[in-house]
Amino acid sequence: MSMSTTPLTPEIVSHEGNAMVLSMGPQHPSTHGVLQIMLEIEGETILKAEPEIGYLHTGIEKTAENLFWSQAQTVIERMDYLAPSSNAYCYCLAVEQLLGLTDRIPERARQIRVLQAELTRVASHCVWLGTHGIDLGALSAFFYCFDMREKILDLQEATGGARMHPNYLRVGGVQADLPSGFMEQLDALLEMFPGRMRDLRGLLQSNPILQDRLVDVGIMTQEEAQDWSITGPGLRATGIAYDVRRAFPYGGYENYDFDIPTRTEGDSYARFLVRLDEMEQSMRIVRQVRDTLKPGPYAVDDTKVMPPPKETIALSMEALIHHFKIMTEGFRVPPGDVYQAVEGPRGELGYYVVSDGGNRPYRVRTRPPSMYNLQALKGLAPGNLIADLVVIIGSLDPVFGEVDR
Amino acid sequence: MPSTQTPPLTGTAIDPPALRPPIDDAAIERIAPANVHARLAELKREGFTLLLDVGAVDYPQRTPRFDIVYHLLNLRKTKRVRLLCGVTGTAPKLPTATDLWKSADWAEREIYDLFGISFEGHPDLRRIQMPNDWEGHPLRKDYPLRGPARERSPRPAFALKSNVQAGTPPSGRTLEALQQQIAKIRGEDRSK
Amino acid sequence: MEVGPGHFLLAKLDDVARWAQSSSVWPLTMGLACCAIEMMSATAPEYDIGRLGSEVFRPSPRQADLMIVSGRVAQKMAPVVKRLFDQMADPKWVISMGACASSGGVFDNYAIVQGVDTIIPVDVYVPGCPPTPDGLLYAVNLIQQQIREGGRGGLLARA
Repeated sequence: MSMSTTPLTPEIVSHEGNAMVLSMGPQHPSTHGVLQIMLEIEGETILKAEPEIGYLHTGIEKTAENLFWSQAQTVIERMDYLAPSSNAYCYCLAVEQLLGLTDRIPERARQIRVLQAELTRVASHCVWLGTHGIDLGALSAFFYCFDMREKILDLQEATGGARMHPNYLRVGGVQADLPSGFMEQLDALLEMFPGRMRDLRGLLQSNPILQDRLVDVGIMTQEEAQDWSITGPGLRATGIAYDVRRAFPYGGYENYDFDIPTRTEGDSYARFLVRLDEMEQSMRIVRQVRDTLKPGPYAVDDTKVMPPPKETIALSMEALIHHFKIMTEGFRVPPGDVYQAVEGPRGELGYYVVSDGGNRPYRVRTRPPSMYNLQALKGLAPGNLIADLVVIIGSLDPVFGEVDR
Repeated sequence: MPSTQTPPLTGTAIDPPALRPPIDDAAIERIAPANVHARLAELKREGFTLLLDVGAVDYPQRTPRFDIVYHLLNLRKTKRVRLLCGVTGTAPKLPTATDLWKSADWAEREIYDLFGISFEGHPDLRRIQMPNDWEGHPLRKDYPLRGPARERSPRPAFALKSNVQAGTPPSGRTLEALQQQIAKIRGEDRSK
Repeated sequence: MEVGPGHFLLAKLDDVARWAQSSSVWPLTMGLACCAIEMMSATAPEYDIGRLGSEVFRPSPRQADLMIVSGRVAQKMAPVVKRLFDQMADPKWVISMGACASSGGVFDNYAIVQGVDTIIPVDVYVPGCPPTPDGLLYAVNLIQQQIREGGRGGLLARA
């Protein structure tokens, strides 16, 4: 039994001694998207795993270079498609830094954005938990989670107009104020949430089958996590309490009370528990935002960046001109570069945005947490069974819109 | 000039990192390609143990043409540092960072795929996002957005699709149909 | 169809076959991007595609009737989609779900195939970015209608 030293590429499918090279994916129910893993296996044990990505490469970064700053956000939102508002949030914060608007964003807009970011985090974790459950055979978890996700998508639809990719967060604030009836819907969700979490924990957390499959699978030490540039729940499950919301606060997160759940074991079960705790902490933040939401404007008062309210267009020539300019030309962003990061559901989502002074982004380089998290598969998979590989992929929670962009 | 400003390159056209407003997102350094590996190793020893990202930007009017951008994170002190390294030429090269961080592997492959910058010492430098036989490096500024095959083809016009009657714009028919409906409701005889 | 005396049911074989096929269309798990998540929502309790007969999504193309191309088709993925379509047994149908699968969507660039109908024949297109699960359910209804009305993909080999 020898481990091949040549890189495993999709062209190699061979049979050498007892080892076999097998292609898992790119169409596979348990790879959480379009992922191909070239596996060198002996029986069911993995000797070497080489993930092959790029099956969803969309050219989002290049497309963004050809659209206005506000239009580019629509394609950027489609990267991490499970938590679209978090992409939008990071991008808006980055562009606002370049524009110098960060301190002028009104308090209500910042609070609404935090609300949207946390709701989208819970929605993303719902998909994670549901699909992770399906991989393990726990089908009920999928139904419970997606039912909860529907409530959150209803809220997204109420604010932004679409269930996914609402394009509600904008450079300068949000697109419009919260609609009437939103608070009642949010209260209904907050009311339903603890019971649902209790159900999910009851179904899964102490379930002996789940524990058998998750405990001590895919153990990552702190050094390995740093070597593989893991961030997010994967890093916190090894004991390093790094959360961008605490480390480099943005958007007013310093005003809210929340814990950073960490574990020390670094296995899939630890990542599982960390994410469950994160869902509860997110709802804790949502509750605080809901209780302290201040009245006020929903966007910055700068009509060179944010279109003026529709009602004023018929009355004021200046408003009409600004609206026209923004819609036909977009706004210009002074030259410079900035790295802005937010805590996405998968880890540190960062954008390195470069502007050359024009009305289009010059470059939007994404720091994709899923790509770095997924790369750790090369180190975690060997020695495990194929069934464990499925568990590890689920616990790393990659989303391929972000990995491939 | 605040200390977070990047030292400007001499004799350059547009250089956004040098023109940046005083944003406190990271400590920024500009490094020559010959020194970048040593500086990365030094920073890693100083505590910047997490490589956040390796990216690239193409400034075709500037020399050096490409900027490789490293972002590092010091977890203990929660500080970031940004290293900018300019490379240029028809076959630009840089030493790999995979011996310092395993995670640089895919990031450098992506830069090779989309920009054409090679990394010496990389264990497996091949395309990652585009198919293996793809020609060209898509994220370079001189690569057409729609790809070389479709660069000059017109955007498909909706009215040219065969399932829409050619000649009559859809809105015309809708208006006509609407007018007929209104007339019918009003009991007028508008038929021609 | 008529019920004769003594518990006989007379019908044309075509009608019975089409009724059976249309009532149990099993999709292939061809989830590519964001539309795949809405497809998953369509299987979830709120929209429940199971009541249309698509109770199970088959991962193997050999066992699936319907390929729902849900999401953007990248250059690397296009030969895979074609191969999976070829591997599906007749009769088979294709729903192109979402703007990206139907025409390239928001991504008119080098990386995305401008419409999956450039590589495989499509029966129903669903617009939206992503379409709501209602849209997907309506598309499955249209497929069922196409099956019942015969023509391509009926009991006989496709034309």
